[in-house]
Amino acid sequence: MPVTRMQTMVSKSQTMSDRTATASRLEEVVSTPDEFDQVVLQALPMLLDRAAGSTKRFLRETGQWNDDIEHEKFALRWGSEYLERFLVCGRTEVPCRPLFLFDSLVAKQHSKPEPFCYHPDLLRPLGRFLDGLAARAVISRDALIALYHHAYGWSPGEVIAVTGLNGVESQRIYKNFRRWRESGWQRTMDEMGLTKVELAELGNQQQRHRQRFNSEAERLIRVAQTHYRKSEPNHYPCLSRSQWGEMFTQGYGCDYRIWHLALCLDCMQTAWGLGSNGSTIGEKPRLELQVRP
Amino acid sequence: MGQEEDLELYRSRLLESLDSHASRCLRGVSDPIQVYVNERRVGELEGAGIGAMLQVQCIDHIDTVQLRTEEGTLLGGLVAPEHGFRTDRLRLSADTIELCVHNTSQGGTLSALFMPAPSFWSRAWKSIAEAADRLVARRPDTALVYGMRMVAFTQALLAIAVVGLVADRVTTWMTAERTPSPVIQTASLPAAPPAGTTRLEQQLDEVARIQTKIGEALASQQNGIVQLHQAVAKLSSTQESVVSSVVMVKEEVKEELEKRLEAVGRETDRTTRHVASKGRVEQEQLEAAIHSLTADNDRLSKEVAGLEEHNQALKTKLQAANASKAVDPNPDRLLARQNDPGRQPLQLADSLQGSQQQPFLFWVTFSDGTSQESIDQWVNGMKGHKGAVNEGWQEVRIVPPPVPPDRFLEQIRGEKIVKAARISQ
Ligand SMILES: [Zn+2]
Ligand SMILES: [Zn+2]
Repeated sequence: MPVTRMQTMVSKSQTMSDRTATASRLEEVVSTPDEFDQVVLQALPMLLDRAAGSTKRFLRETGQWNDDIEHEKFALRWGSEYLERFLVCGRTEVPCRPLFLFDSLVAKQHSKPEPFCYHPDLLRPLGRFLDGLAARAVISRDALIALYHHAYGWSPGEVIAVTGLNGVESQRIYKNFRRWRESGWQRTMDEMGLTKVELAELGNQQQRHRQRFNSEAERLIRVAQTHYRKSEPNHYPCLSRSQWGEMFTQGYGCDYRIWHLALCLDCMQTAWGLGSNGSTIGEKPRLELQVRP
Repeated sequence: MGQEEDLELYRSRLLESLDSHASRCLRGVSDPIQVYVNERRVGELEGAGIGAMLQVQCIDHIDTVQLRTEEGTLLGGLVAPEHGFRTDRLRLSADTIELCVHNTSQGGTLSALFMPAPSFWSRAWKSIAEAADRLVARRPDTALVYGMRMVAFTQALLAIAVVGLVADRVTTWMTAERTPSPVIQTASLPAAPPAGTTRLEQQLDEVARIQTKIGEALASQQNGIVQLHQAVAKLSSTQESVVSSVVMVKEEVKEELEKRLEAVGRETDRTTRHVASKGRVEQEQLEAAIHSLTADNDRLSKEVAGLEEHNQALKTKLQAANASKAVDPNPDRLLARQNDPGRQPLQLADSLQGSQQQPFLFWVTFSDGTSQESIDQWVNGMKGHKGAVNEGWQEVRIVPPPVPPDRFLEQIRGEKIVKAARISQ
């Protein structure tokens, strides 16, 4: 036993000195992208904690903090988001001192008007699920297309019909669906920290109280969509039915339709039936949340 | 599971995904690359495309540029300085993406150029050249990159519409009444020297010339039009951004017009109100014109012809307006004024310049013992053309590079077969 204990102590003190070494290395100038990668990749845990820490501080200062696991997860999630961007952009900033660069990048994020979509209800499993989908949709076309499935339960063919796409674009939709099923969904769940238990529980709620579940989902998805629509190309505002109609009949604004309709429940209602399903449709679509891809 | 453990598990999962990021940057060959500026999506680079290019102009400074796969994986990006240039070259397996950001006090511009692996070129070149020959207005010395030409082409159409639109607005204000009130002039147009007027005229001339060419090519080659259509569909990313820009421009023109008219109305009398109503009528006509631009090919070619006429008329109007010496010398500035500050990417302003760009000239000498064949290969690799030879210096013409000339020369000098490179003879 004493031997084991000794070993533990040795490795622990080693970790401590490693950490100090890593930290001081980050404060020194790196002069090539490769050097940047090498130094930063060794320091990921420390940098993640640092970013989560300052996000936590930001939330505290803006009165949005609470001492619970949901808030801790939220801070970690955004910390890792910043870290990912730092990994990619930082290497173009050499020569630099990585630690200072990282701090300034995080500070810059926090000085934006609404750096992230914060709402207490979005921290609970259903909210986190929806927030995760919408946040991912902004940076991933696969996730964007998947929103149609998760919100309305549509198949690729239905998405193509509803948005009135042509041949070339249709092929892409099938691809988007496939990749989302294969890996995108799981990755998004992991990045949102949704556990198997939580996902199963969401499934249960959906089966037992379908209506309540969907109306709660609708309320929350509106909060998320309103926030994330700000990342649309900013010439994509909501349109009237006749404006949508024009776009559909004349066949332009393909991206506009795909993006905005996925992120706007209201416009989906407005534009309903303008796509190639126009003659065969029945009622306007209602939110029917799908948990699984 | 305890909450502590749950949190620790989450943290290590995030770390794992960050760690594996570097190795994950594999991209499906044909998937377009999503381009984000200041964390807003601005368009796509067609990955399988042939020298696809995306140009974005922002009213704000460009802080960040990010490239992502359709899965959302961050492939690369950069943080731009508040003023000046920042370029970056990104390698994705064999392909390369060149990013160039330029921030000035007027805002920022981004050029992103996708350059496929050379092997792709040698395979694709033949069929492309063939199609291009049939499509473009023939100028043998500039039969350059098909893809880029198409970009310039589609964008030129739209830029013409926009320039026409803006210039039209100006002339309407100036010529609507026999004696335009001085208030209108100062409110909407800064005074400019007559030289400026001439420049605008020249630009319109140039625009009309391009139109004529496009019109000819389209009208005389029905067959080509079908292929043009296919080509445009291939370049769907560019097409898409152009098309959605139509909507954007329409909205912005409308807002801007209304705002300006409002401002003018406050300061002046019925005279201006008359102009206002006239402007509105005309705005509707122009909207209709823009819509038809996006319709089918047949209508497209007709529209081009129509636009050409329209511009001729414009030119005449402009000459008539010469006397008042109150035309903004720079159509780009007119374009820029279409936007409110704080409103972001206007992807068109640059394209006008793009469509009129002269080929970029430079001179090189090659390392001793370089064969003529490898020189030709090298020039072809850049999609360039050889010009004169002078005291051992070879003149080369290429499509203007997306990076500043100095930096470009720097890159050229780094190539194995190049001994020296310079811009002037
Ligand atoms: Zn909407
Ligand atoms: Zn500035």
